[in-house]
Amino acid sequence: MNQRTTPYVIVIGGGKVGYHLARHLLDRGYEVTLVEKDRVRAQWLSHQLGSCSIMVGDGDEMSFLATTGIERAGVVVGATGDDEDNLVACQLAKRKFSVPRTIARVNDPENVRLFKALGIDVPVSATELLMGLIEAELSGSDAVKGVAVKACGATLVDVALPELSSLVGRRVADVHLPAGDLVVCIVRDGRPVVPQADVVIQPGDELIIYSTTLDVESVRELVTN
Amino acid sequence: MRVVIVGCGRVGSLLALRMAGEGHTVCVIDEKPSSFERLGDDFNGEMVVGNGLEGATLRRAGIEKADCFAAVMPGDNRNLMAAQLAREIFNVKRVITRIYDPIRAAVYREMGVETICSTVIGAGLIHDYLIDGVNRADAVAGAGGRT
Repeated sequence: MNQRTTPYVIVIGGGKVGYHLARHLLDRGYEVTLVEKDRVRAQWLSHQLGSCSIMVGDGDEMSFLATTGIERAGVVVGATGDDEDNLVACQLAKRKFSVPRTIARVNDPENVRLFKALGIDVPVSATELLMGLIEAELSGSDAVKGVAVKACGATLVDVALPELSSLVGRRVADVHLPAGDLVVCIVRDGRPVVPQADVVIQPGDELIIYSTTLDVESVRELVTN
Repeated sequence: MRVVIVGCGRVGSLLALRMAGEGHTVCVIDEKPSSFERLGDDFNGEMVVGNGLEGATLRRAGIEKADCFAAVMPGDNRNLMAAQLAREIFNVKRVITRIYDPIRAAVYREMGVETICSTVIGAGLIHDYLIDGVNRADAVAGAGGRT
């Protein structure tokens, strides 16, 4: 166990997400407490996870949280299927127990903005991630073969440039993206190239663009026109 | 005033009827259409069927123009989230929520979310009657009268 270097993590909600997350973290040597309301489910979880400390209780009940050693936790993850429960658990962790980092599973993508505004460090919307992936697939274009990962209002778009792209032959400095958007990496022959201003874009390059304003469709237009 | 009430249970319906009776513009949200039966036939406010935690539902209820907002659903966490949605995303000026758990009510009040803890109030009134024989429930209920 390397408790000194990895933070103590409390995962609230032992459903599919919480269970797999706890298992993953345990495999990586983290100290984990998995909190589950349902006694029967908790029993099953402790069978599966063995050494992991499973606690039966309500993750948004202050008195219960106080028994989980939360004051020394580095991270609290709200992983239940209910946004309101994840929100309140994370807010209590942050406000009352000064947990440095709170991560909330967000089921309704519209809530990402609210959770951010309310001080949740990392709202994770699986729905949004999936939507981004599916959207990229649906666009049916060779140009944007990649992934739109929408998180915290930003999108990472992976664009494989077509041979005839207007961007080929241009310097990175001359690629005009909306303000705040950025080429964060060029993948050339399977290797990452740092996109310095002078780097000239070549046919077959793949651009990874960080964007707060574009969606997959607008990126496609940008690179194919 | 324009008021949006989320939850048409006992508290929500009573509140809606009283405020509509006072001439305010009232919209009540509830997931179950049958909940609106509590409002009777004479209720002149609006009723919206939907999830009070969803932006789309809240917009349909006119939250963008609302002066005040009350979250009175059965779950504390749902109420706390709805109240914070109203405050942070829709900038409603006067927001309040009913909470059962005294600790949670106190914590969120500290954080600036106005809460009424019915548990604390109920216990307090019962305590007072037991000690000095005076039932102050009528005073608290206001013009709503006896329930």
